[in-house]
Amino acid sequence: MSFEPKILGFLCNWCSYAGADLAGVSRIQYPTNMRVIRVMCSGRVDPKFIFHALELGIDGVFVMGCHPGDCHYLEGNYEAITKFDMTQQFLKFINFDKRVRLDWVSASEGTRFGEVVTEFINHIKELGPSPISGGNPDEDILDKLKAIKMAAGSNRMRALVGREKTLLGSENVYGEQIIEQRFNILIDKAIKDEFERHRVLLALEKDSNSVKDLAVELNIDPSIVLEHVLTLKTRGQVDFQKIKGNTPIFMRL
Amino acid sequence: MNEITSESKQMKNTDDEWEPKILAFLCNWCSYAGADLAGVSRIQYPPNIRVVRVPCSGRINPYFIVKALLDGWDGVLVSGCHPGDCHYLTGNLVARRRFGILKDLLEFFGIEPDRVNFMWASAAEGERFAVLIRKTTKLVKKMGPNKKFEKKW
Amino acid sequence: MEKIGAVMVVGAGIGGSQAALDLADSGYKVYLIESTTSIGGVMAQLDKTFPTNDCAMCIVSPKLVETGRHQNIDLSINCEIQDVIGEAGNFTIKVLKKSLYINPEKCTGCGVCGRECPVEAIDVFNEGLANYAATSVKYPQAVPLVFAIDKNYCIGCGICQGVCKAKAIEYDRKDEEVEINVGAIILAPGFDEYIPPEGNLYGYGKYKNVVTSIEFERILSASGPYAGRVLRPSDGDVPEKVAFLQCVGSRDYTGKGKPYCSSVCCMYTAKEAVIAHEHMHQIQPTIFSMDIRAYGKDFDKYIIRAQEEYEVRYIRSRISSITEVPETKDLRIKYETEDGTVVEEDYHMVVLAVGLNPPNDAQFLAEKFGVELNEYDFAMTDIFNPVQTSKPGIFACGAFSSPKDIPDTVTQASAAAGCVNQLLHEKKGTLITEKTLPPEIFVRGQPPRIGVFICYCGINIGGFLDVPEVTKYASNLPNVVLADNNLYTCSADTQTLIKDTIKEYHLNRVVVASCTPRTHEPLFQETIREAGLNRYLFQMANIRDQCSWVHMNEWDKATEKAKDLVRMAVNKARNIEAIERIKLPVTQKTLIVGGGISGMVAALNFATQGYETFLIEKQKELGGFARHIYNTLEGGNVQEFISDLIEKINSNKLIRVFTQAEIEIIDGYIGNFKTTVIHGSKKEKTEFEHGVVIVATGAKEYQPTEYLYGQNNKVILQSEFEKLLNTSNDINDKKSVVMIQCVGSRNDDHPYCSKMCCAEAIKNALLAKQKNPNVEVVVLFRDIRTYGFKEKYYREAREKGVIFINYEENEPPEIISEGSILKIKLKTLKMGEITIESDLLVLSAGIIAKREDNEELAKMLKVPLNDDNFFLEAHVKLRPVDFATEGVFVAGLAHCPKTIEDSISQANAAVARACTILSKDEIEVEGKIGEIDMARCTGCGMCIDNCAYNAIELIDDRRFGRVAYINSILCKGCGACAGNCRCAAIDIRGFTGEQIFAMITGRN
Repeated sequence: MSFEPKILGFLCNWCSYAGADLAGVSRIQYPTNMRVIRVMCSGRVDPKFIFHALELGIDGVFVMGCHPGDCHYLEGNYEAITKFDMTQQFLKFINFDKRVRLDWVSASEGTRFGEVVTEFINHIKELGPSPISGGNPDEDILDKLKAIKMAAGSNRMRALVGREKTLLGSENVYGEQIIEQRFNILIDKAIKDEFERHRVLLALEKDSNSVKDLAVELNIDPSIVLEHVLTLKTRGQVDFQKIKGNTPIFMRL
Repeated sequence: MNEITSESKQMKNTDDEWEPKILAFLCNWCSYAGADLAGVSRIQYPPNIRVVRVPCSGRINPYFIVKALLDGWDGVLVSGCHPGDCHYLTGNLVARRRFGILKDLLEFFGIEPDRVNFMWASAAEGERFAVLIRKTTKLVKKMGPNKKFEKKW
Repeated sequence: MEKIGAVMVVGAGIGGSQAALDLADSGYKVYLIESTTSIGGVMAQLDKTFPTNDCAMCIVSPKLVETGRHQNIDLSINCEIQDVIGEAGNFTIKVLKKSLYINPEKCTGCGVCGRECPVEAIDVFNEGLANYAATSVKYPQAVPLVFAIDKNYCIGCGICQGVCKAKAIEYDRKDEEVEINVGAIILAPGFDEYIPPEGNLYGYGKYKNVVTSIEFERILSASGPYAGRVLRPSDGDVPEKVAFLQCVGSRDYTGKGKPYCSSVCCMYTAKEAVIAHEHMHQIQPTIFSMDIRAYGKDFDKYIIRAQEEYEVRYIRSRISSITEVPETKDLRIKYETEDGTVVEEDYHMVVLAVGLNPPNDAQFLAEKFGVELNEYDFAMTDIFNPVQTSKPGIFACGAFSSPKDIPDTVTQASAAAGCVNQLLHEKKGTLITEKTLPPEIFVRGQPPRIGVFICYCGINIGGFLDVPEVTKYASNLPNVVLADNNLYTCSADTQTLIKDTIKEYHLNRVVVASCTPRTHEPLFQETIREAGLNRYLFQMANIRDQCSWVHMNEWDKATEKAKDLVRMAVNKARNIEAIERIKLPVTQKTLIVGGGISGMVAALNFATQGYETFLIEKQKELGGFARHIYNTLEGGNVQEFISDLIEKINSNKLIRVFTQAEIEIIDGYIGNFKTTVIHGSKKEKTEFEHGVVIVATGAKEYQPTEYLYGQNNKVILQSEFEKLLNTSNDINDKKSVVMIQCVGSRNDDHPYCSKMCCAEAIKNALLAKQKNPNVEVVVLFRDIRTYGFKEKYYREAREKGVIFINYEENEPPEIISEGSILKIKLKTLKMGEITIESDLLVLSAGIIAKREDNEELAKMLKVPLNDDNFFLEAHVKLRPVDFATEGVFVAGLAHCPKTIEDSISQANAAVARACTILSKDEIEVEGKIGEIDMARCTGCGMCIDNCAYNAIELIDDRRFGRVAYINSILCKGCGACAGNCRCAAIDIRGFTGEQIFAMITGRN
């Protein structure tokens, strides 16, 4: 039997969902793999939804919204872009970035809806099944995905991504424009840090451990693990447990 | 922050485990400041201590400690500056001598030695302060309630 | 131009803060300008301090809090100097107050903004070892506790404004330019540490486990990034073998570092090694150094303890490069031992003892203020007055003029204040403000009417415990007339509310349940005083720092604890009474014991300010120890300086000199001493009154019994050699001169360094070479201690051919007298046993205390001596010229061996400290002090032994007989006496037994 991917689609109520309806009215045929969740706006799609779906073994997630400039809520789809960019960046850590897609379909583009959906399904078919689907999921990837989900939901990521559009598009609280390059460096660093920190947290949740062993387990340089552990300590999430020989053991609080 | 708030509200403590009440005498210049630092650094420790601020550990009359036990406090903790660090030059050394004797005396009376604890914590040792409170609370908890005296709490 | 009674202090480290406090306490308005966002400087970064291992934060933070709250100190942070015009007596300075983007009036320092800030910045205070938010405060105990936004990192997202319940964040807050008019300026910008540049051979910046000493200081600190655990950055393990490399960036002639000696590294390294071992016993420190420069008071003893008690290993070798072992990240050090073998060792971590550089903005400051810098870019100062810059009216203190440690900095800060006093004395008290307060309401005997104010502190308290519940509970407590809660009890509008409430409800006791009394009690006390209540009718319950913040996940238990804390505070409040502070008149005259340089400088300073001064000298003439010194190493003419001083003293009508004088009796206490002196050849008796005493009795030269001194006339003392060089040409027919250092110093009898002998030896060696270039000069030394800029002369001496040979304490040179020739035999490590023939042997005899004299005076003044019989100051670090007994100060060699310049600084410092008393007509004493119930006192006298301040004595009372009496002027209120009193006769106001029992007891 050939691989039939499970695909989840988030469709905005005003354009894409209407476009999908139009495809139906027009009897446009496309593969059956996508299940649709209607949302009022593509901006509503919390990255957590996507990570949650992937965690459950969904092979691909498709977010569709109105074309830029056409948003029923004026700028919701621009918000969708910043969130989606972050989502994709996080997913790069587990090579899942190609399993998610954001595209625009208007209420009048029934044909186009059929086309993009077909194309995405074929694309996922080519990628093959998600390594965490089925009965024997890849634990390593699953762990990383859990860390991603937590990291993306952290206050720091939300604050940065939530303000990205305003900061880059108009001006900040000082009436100044933030250079995109500077902002991207910040976001990239935050994504990497938070991902790694949450991996450390998850690893410590399983068992208390030393910096050195965590470094081997997570394949991160020990000096960086130490920095993360200390940051987590100031956040009140991690603390020293004991010192074994010359090696301090850290625990999750 | 709001997340934490709502979480902490949800985490209303429901277990009925016995919680000791410990009276803590802290000297103003080192230990009280160390306790403040633990607060500013948000280092969590068990909520069993009640603090009495005194200018110096040397101020603490042994009778304060005896009275606390008589009044039913489950434990008493005295913390001053590290030896040599006293704001009043030698107050903590005077205290140290005094408490050494008191502790022996209390033991002689049949009061468990762990009920009364002496320690040092500096103004920079917020973490140490929290660790010591955790330890002390554990010690007193292990001994159970102070039943020898009338409970006024 | 008219003189101005205000002073600007630039830089608010420990030096700047001390100078500001001394001046503000003496009646000057002080503008304290700081470039960073909080005060405390480098000292606030330190874990412990040498040689006492005192916790730095414990001793410095009360001083900083005092600085931050002083009525006459106008503290401005985040400032930049724009422009300076004017001259001594009247300067105008333009200062740019850079915006913090946070309103300091509204900020409560709760830190929610920092926690929510999405941008991580580099934590400069923790030396880059940890992350930080762009909205931050420098350290948890910072003064002022105001957050600031670092615009370099902030992206302007606006999150912090949203979370700040105090509405303190103001993004549109603008920089502000102010003009300040002052009479004098003190520059105290401190130093910047040497940072090894990129590509350095130590691998700093490349190898993770190579850190600088200041980074290591943060690693050691209990409030540092590793919470006081010593871990290595590469993998978080405890490093067992730690190597400390001395002289990184100091004593370096290669051009990469600085040629001078940084003065403090030997000691701070010893301290770091000791503390590291103390923190974690598995750590074995090794220190690589050329000389161990432990030249200060009790420093040598510290080094010995480090070696003997803390397993610190010293290796005399200078390391210039390090390699890393890639697999383990350990560091490989190759060194040559003294006997020439090359050893290779691996260490888990390396600490670079980096030197002190002039502040990065030294050039900028010099240009703005018009002061000159020396060849190393430190402030150039007067040869005899180390705080006087090249421009009159502008003074420098601390590390800005040369690398120095904390006590020297504090001394200089006070000295600078002393010099300002001299300059501006006629304008004293003209610009300070005094508040007019309503008369106090009489409440004694009235039933307590207690008002309780409970603070939400935004969400800092209210988010973690049930404030309304606590309020309800409080309102039901006996005697509580009203319990209320506020969003911020400390805000300005709540202060008005409290005042109105006091009036409306006729409250006579006020309890505030909020944060810590350590920072906020004075504010609330001020408020209730403004409402007419005595400021001691106040009590605080700490339900934030010691409750909500430390029990964030235990809503019910935290609420219960808060209730208990409030009840305990109310219980105490019910028992508190108004306390009146006694005021005592001050006799504005001074007594100086000792007519050497220190005594004379102090006397002249006092007299210039118009204070009548009694100067007593034991000898027939003034001058003291310095009479044997001709020049300083730096070239100052000491004889000229002394005769000039003596002339000025003799012509000053306010100074009364008693020579051949001895004190018969000193009676009294701060502000009110009475002394009888027997003086002159006829033993006349004179009695006079004075308000302060300065002890400047000096010290004497050791008279050796070793090395054939006194038996062979070719063996002379360094002071005799100096006289020979300066008054004759005898050196011209000498072929070889040998000097032996540390004669009578650093041995079992005198276990301390005499500090100046190395400089004296080099000075005389250079002079000998100058007068007779053919003379061979050999210096036999244990360590050459030419600290600071004196290093230059050590190098010069070596360049000019002076030979320096090291000897060990247990193998001193042996002197053999063969006819007219002296032979000096010495075992060396490199050359084996050598013999030098010499026609002059010069002994660098140390400085020893005048034991009998000091003991007698110490007894009379009730001040202590140290083990070596020098006078012991109140606090080794922060009160270097004070005694624990108030009103008595110390200066010069009586304190410990030191140079002439240091003695002068100390003398001026002692004057400044004394002026904080003399400038007032009456002194107000601390209110929370001990009192004795004479009816209960049995006069056992135990309290006298417990009192560190000599405040208690036994008196004969008419009714009660022999009883203890507490001198309320001297009492500090620590309560050591009360805690020990066998008959409960002593109580401490504000912390009475009754009050504490009320807190202990569960009943209301």
